[in-house]
Amino acid sequence: MRLQRTLAFSRRTLLQFRHDRRTFAFVLVMPLLMILIFGYTFGGDVQGIALEMVNQDMGIPQGFLPQLPDGLFLANDITENLNEETLSIHINSNREDARQRVHDGNAWVAIVYPENFTQTFLTAILQPGTIPPPKIELYLDGTNPTIVAAVMKEITGAIQNTLSELSASLNITETNMPITVDQVYVYGGGETRFIDYFAPGVVSFAIMMVTTMITIILFVNERRNGTLQRLLVSPASEAEIVVGYALAFAVIGIIQSIVVLVAAILLFDITIVGNILLALLVILLLAFGHQGLGILLSAGAKNELQAIQFIPLILFPSILLAGLFWPIESIPSYLQPLSYLIPLRYGIDAERAIMLRGWGIGEIWIDLFVLVLFAVLTLSASVLLLKRKN
Amino acid sequence: MKVTCPSCGLVGKVTFEHVYDASTKVVKIRNLTKTFGRFTAVEALNLTIFKGEIYGLLGPNGSGKSTIIKMLCGLLRPSKGSAEIFGQQLPCKPMMQKVGYMPQDTAIYLENTVHENLQFFGGVYGLPKDILEKKEQEMLRFVNLQDWRDSLVSTLSGGMRHRLSLACALIHEPSLVFLDEPTVGVDPELRALFWGYFESLAEKGVTVIITTHYMDEADHCSRVGLLRKGRLIAEGRPTDLKQQTQTQSLEQAFLSLTRGNET
Repeated sequence: MRLQRTLAFSRRTLLQFRHDRRTFAFVLVMPLLMILIFGYTFGGDVQGIALEMVNQDMGIPQGFLPQLPDGLFLANDITENLNEETLSIHINSNREDARQRVHDGNAWVAIVYPENFTQTFLTAILQPGTIPPPKIELYLDGTNPTIVAAVMKEITGAIQNTLSELSASLNITETNMPITVDQVYVYGGGETRFIDYFAPGVVSFAIMMVTTMITIILFVNERRNGTLQRLLVSPASEAEIVVGYALAFAVIGIIQSIVVLVAAILLFDITIVGNILLALLVILLLAFGHQGLGILLSAGAKNELQAIQFIPLILFPSILLAGLFWPIESIPSYLQPLSYLIPLRYGIDAERAIMLRGWGIGEIWIDLFVLVLFAVLTLSASVLLLKRKN
Repeated sequence: MKVTCPSCGLVGKVTFEHVYDASTKVVKIRNLTKTFGRFTAVEALNLTIFKGEIYGLLGPNGSGKSTIIKMLCGLLRPSKGSAEIFGQQLPCKPMMQKVGYMPQDTAIYLENTVHENLQFFGGVYGLPKDILEKKEQEMLRFVNLQDWRDSLVSTLSGGMRHRLSLACALIHEPSLVFLDEPTVGVDPELRALFWGYFESLAEKGVTVIITTHYMDEADHCSRVGLLRKGRLIAEGRPTDLKQQTQTQSLEQAFLSLTRGNET
């Protein structure tokens, strides 16, 4: 393979994009729009969830515990730790009325602290095993999982915070606490927003779409205009043609990813924990593999109109099965194995691991291996396809 | 010297009796056959073409002209028989360095400029930078596109695109040029210009193989092969073919030969 010839292909393709500003704009604008639209609409945290608060907690009798001369109202402390932006709290003295309001759709959730909440709590700590731990009653309208998740996150968070404050003043370890909420964030620290989760996915998705679609159309045109025939008559090898194109898409992919990531950092303040070079390597692998796929698919399209028909074929499996918006775990279990067949899945997985968890090659080698395999397979198949003659 | 062809009225640097080097065989085809399923596109073709010839493959649509060219270029695999260029059995990738090919379609990149197209095809043939610069200038002059160097091909007229397409096929100074219907859809003035180009190539010792179904312009060829249904029905210098059939034009000669063939 000769470098000069190979680069002639890359150069021409890139120059074509320089003249065709609109297509190049599409390359950048498509992922930016996705980031913007989903970042602002989808990504915002849920706010103002109506909550009915029934606080019957009587606290503790005076002198119950010498360490707490001022007494203790645990329910109040928990309530103070609730975020008032996320929850719109309505104080209600009547438990039945609060439940009714949830029933009637006036509130998403009612929370009821029993009369002896604080006392039961302290007894359970101080005389372990004598009585069961106290209960908070939650009445939830479970029709919207996003809201349920937000409420649960808020309440467990508030309990946890209250308990850790209390553990300091009571001089006991948190592990003795009767109300323990077992939610330990290993990554993201509970602060990860949708946009943080989404940005690495969009970067991978954008390069997949752009590379596949543009390759299909470029090669359909190569065939139709007769330029491909001319190239096949030249001394250039089929491998040089394929690699030349691949290099051009590598450049486009890198530019695109950098623009998208910079925009995401500036607009949404997303955090990239891991190695950005490794993230770009994943982009390159995605570009190579999907370029090969594009060449292969181009053989199945006679003109641009037929090429466009491949869009839904590529788009929907990637959106639905590769974990771009929703975790793969949320797909019906009988469909989940299909996601292993979609190369984008490994790209998104790797990008998230790098950007959100700061993982290195040691942890994501399976993703890298699959992507390398995908690129090698599709690119060599495209070389064979171009070599095929009647 | 500009002359007007008496048979077709084309203006160009036309030499009616082209002299070629009959001692050097450039293309040698033996028993070449191509079938597509049950259809036989080319049948048992034998052909020898010499250095500096303008050889015309002549015949109506579907007579197998393009199929022959495509087999010689390595785009199609022969079903039977063999073809050699410059003494090398085909397919032979390195030999393609000496071959220029202008397909039926214009086959240039519409979204690139004239300059970028020439640079690209020069690059594909591995021309060093300085030589490529020189050849580009030469080609721009040759096809008279100097003023359009930085224009996008999509903004050029059909005639200009055809000229650029020819320039792209010639930028690496090939010794053998295949031109597949180079004058289809080309106005008479440009056709005359093109034949002028072809003649000037042949004068430099380049072998030019042309397919056409315009019988009149084939008068400019040193020799023509008349094809019908994939078979070579006659071959020779245009004047000889006309004499042999006692006709005034190649078209009449062709018709008289096909009639003779059928009976």
